[in-house]
Amino acid sequence: MMIMENNYFSKLKVLDFTGELGPYTAKMFAGIGAEVIHLEPLDGDPLRQVGPFYKNAKTPDSSLPFCCYNSGKRGLALNLDHADGQAVLRRLCASADLLVESFAPGYLTQRGLAYETLSAKNPKLVQTSITPFGHTGPLAQQVGSDLTCAAMSGFLYLAGVGHEKPVRSPDNQAYRMAEAYAAVGSTIALFGAQRSGKGQFVDVACIEAGAGALENAAQFWDLEGKIRRGRGKEAGTATIHPCADGYIAIVAIMGKNKVMWTPFVEWMKQEGVEEWEVFDNDKWIESAYRESKEGYDTFCRVFERYTMQHDKRYIYETGQGYSVAVTPVSNGKDLLENPQLKARGYWHTVHNETLGGNVVYPGAPYEFGEIRWQQGGNAPRLGQHTREVLAEHGYAKQDIDALIKAGAVYAE
Amino acid sequence: MPNSFERALQGITVCDFSWVGAGPIATSVLAQCGAKVIKIESLKRPDILRKGEPFKDGDNTGMDRSGYFANRNANKQDIALNMGHPDAREVAVRLIKQSDIIINNFRVGQMEKWNLGWEDVQKINPRIIYVTMSLQGLNGPHSEYMGYGVNLNALCGLTARAAFPGQPPFGTGTNYTDHVMVPTHTLFGIMAALLEREATGRGQTVTISQLEAAISMVPSDAMAYAANGEVLPPLGCGDPQAAPHGVYTTLGYRKWLAIAVFTEEEWGSLKKIMGNPAWAEDQKFATLEARLRNQEELDARIEAWTTGQYSDWLMDELLRNGVKAGMVKDAREAIEDPHLRQRGFWAYLNHPVVGVSLYNRAPVKFSRTPVIMETPAPSIGQHTKEVLSGMLGYSEQEIQKMTSDQVLV
Repeated sequence: MMIMENNYFSKLKVLDFTGELGPYTAKMFAGIGAEVIHLEPLDGDPLRQVGPFYKNAKTPDSSLPFCCYNSGKRGLALNLDHADGQAVLRRLCASADLLVESFAPGYLTQRGLAYETLSAKNPKLVQTSITPFGHTGPLAQQVGSDLTCAAMSGFLYLAGVGHEKPVRSPDNQAYRMAEAYAAVGSTIALFGAQRSGKGQFVDVACIEAGAGALENAAQFWDLEGKIRRGRGKEAGTATIHPCADGYIAIVAIMGKNKVMWTPFVEWMKQEGVEEWEVFDNDKWIESAYRESKEGYDTFCRVFERYTMQHDKRYIYETGQGYSVAVTPVSNGKDLLENPQLKARGYWHTVHNETLGGNVVYPGAPYEFGEIRWQQGGNAPRLGQHTREVLAEHGYAKQDIDALIKAGAVYAE
Repeated sequence: MPNSFERALQGITVCDFSWVGAGPIATSVLAQCGAKVIKIESLKRPDILRKGEPFKDGDNTGMDRSGYFANRNANKQDIALNMGHPDAREVAVRLIKQSDIIINNFRVGQMEKWNLGWEDVQKINPRIIYVTMSLQGLNGPHSEYMGYGVNLNALCGLTARAAFPGQPPFGTGTNYTDHVMVPTHTLFGIMAALLEREATGRGQTVTISQLEAAISMVPSDAMAYAANGEVLPPLGCGDPQAAPHGVYTTLGYRKWLAIAVFTEEEWGSLKKIMGNPAWAEDQKFATLEARLRNQEELDARIEAWTTGQYSDWLMDELLRNGVKAGMVKDAREAIEDPHLRQRGFWAYLNHPVVGVSLYNRAPVKFSRTPVIMETPAPSIGQHTKEVLSGMLGYSEQEIQKMTSDQVLV
């Protein structure tokens, strides 16, 4: 009981005015018990238009990304082009701890909603802004997308070898990276606000998040004058190989680490792989050999002769039995059937009344000794909690009706 | 009081047993925000990333030339503590008493071998946040499995769709999960526990499953399979909401331009910049649905147009006209990017062995509390004497004895 009384996050009020870019930040707060209100324009959050869709049927509520990133939040539809709508946001901010938004720089200021205004009556307010390029610098006013941010940050270039074009990662990773760092920045600013009473404006740019994920590529240029591309063509060192039902990824050796290689050779030997003896040779300890055409081709020829006879699951569990870092290249089906995730109860199945069926969600990214992670209720329909939220913020029924009539808010 | 909190995490101390990738990135962010991070290493067991490429001038002698290591360890103090020696634990205990956070990314059971599991540490300091970062959680049939970032990319579902149709999957080309998914979730967990402690006065455990953290940032394929019974196709450089959407060849060595057209208005602008070619007026390209259906031909048409142009000039023209475009920059171009430079994203720190060399700060800018890149990556044990004689209260003689006893090595 003491724990509940003292719980920090159950008292934390978060406003989330994000769309395709931004929703995971506040979702992380919802997951640990914060009260999150998802604000969206009257014509709906653009993320509602983004697939994949539940039962492959596109409706305003069937976007699976929308369902995922906005579960655990309540919803209020708010028109920021209307003076009364702007006043609603000011009032909501007067009692909020955190506002997360992903408007273009200047958008809120033009509507009388700059951080200085929003925090005037509530100096502890933290505002976290997630944008393609951030609020300062020569690109600040430019348009950007997940792909163009990934490209300009240097991140995309690494996703290929030689002269190949780079390939894109799924689920808008330039956005997701910025959102995850925005959540971190928000907690750091909240911690500062908790101690000093003063909030602040937190500026998170997708291009920076991407540039922070270059691994060692920036240092390769700085220290050795080399431009590197992706890993994937050094035999057994982060390579991907076909198998009977898909692909597997393997790190059988890194650097000159013979202690890693020995178990791999043992695995091949015990499985009776034809020509396994070629691996029983110290030349494989040299990365120069593994990078050579002969080394790479030999590795693929012998190893894939084995992998092509077995499925991902068999190779994964057998190879791990020999302490080899081999994993399946999981698709959605593999992930749902993954025995580890099943045993840990990772996937959450929740009935969604609006969709008339069950939706499966990823579970907790972490466990705490005391804080309880929660999946939370289904993502809100447009304007589902408008009346409820406004009432909690002191609006009388007739005021709410007037706001709806004026087109400042929408309630379902 | 008024000035004492000018950095957000001033006064927070981290006892940092983490090494290699994700853990040190997380604690580096804490250090940049003002936390005092004490990295525990040993000459007997150095952070293996010290031997990770690249090295200053390609020379890997010694333990201080790796840029891979350096960029994850700025602003930290480093003590050499040989945990294999029975007397080392007492030094760790003194540090734990004064720490707010203790973090490790060892295999499950290592801290317990030193009698520094949560049960023990909680008794030493009930206010401490105890952070572990296992690969797949502490229980379950695969909890002992091993893997590196590339393995985790594949396992979590990120790699499968990062493929061109008809080709094997490639992924990010990096240990992506180590750099973003795992450290950000670790940091969020740490900060959540710190905030909670402000209310309760108690520390608690923060237990990361790297796999489970990673999946939360690539949920679509599994959710779609559960809902629709279909595995999503390879993404290439496409997007189901946009066409054209891809990476197009331009003039120069490995030069491409990313173009992403989501709306009819953007498509109209692009056509105008292309000089309204006749092909673009074909019904095949009249709507997003039509462009997606005829994507291959569309991409070939766009590429025929970009191939003879400079990516930077073309990008500027497209952006000026509201079309989302971005050069595919390599690391050198990202380092030289005026935008990232002006935002102070890159930092050059003067390292005693390597000299002035490149680091990046955390991708977060605060209006009030600065993120500061202060000191270059430490050598093993660089701060042993300072930390032991200072905050841990050991005398000169005790330090000398523990050094000759092979404790402080």
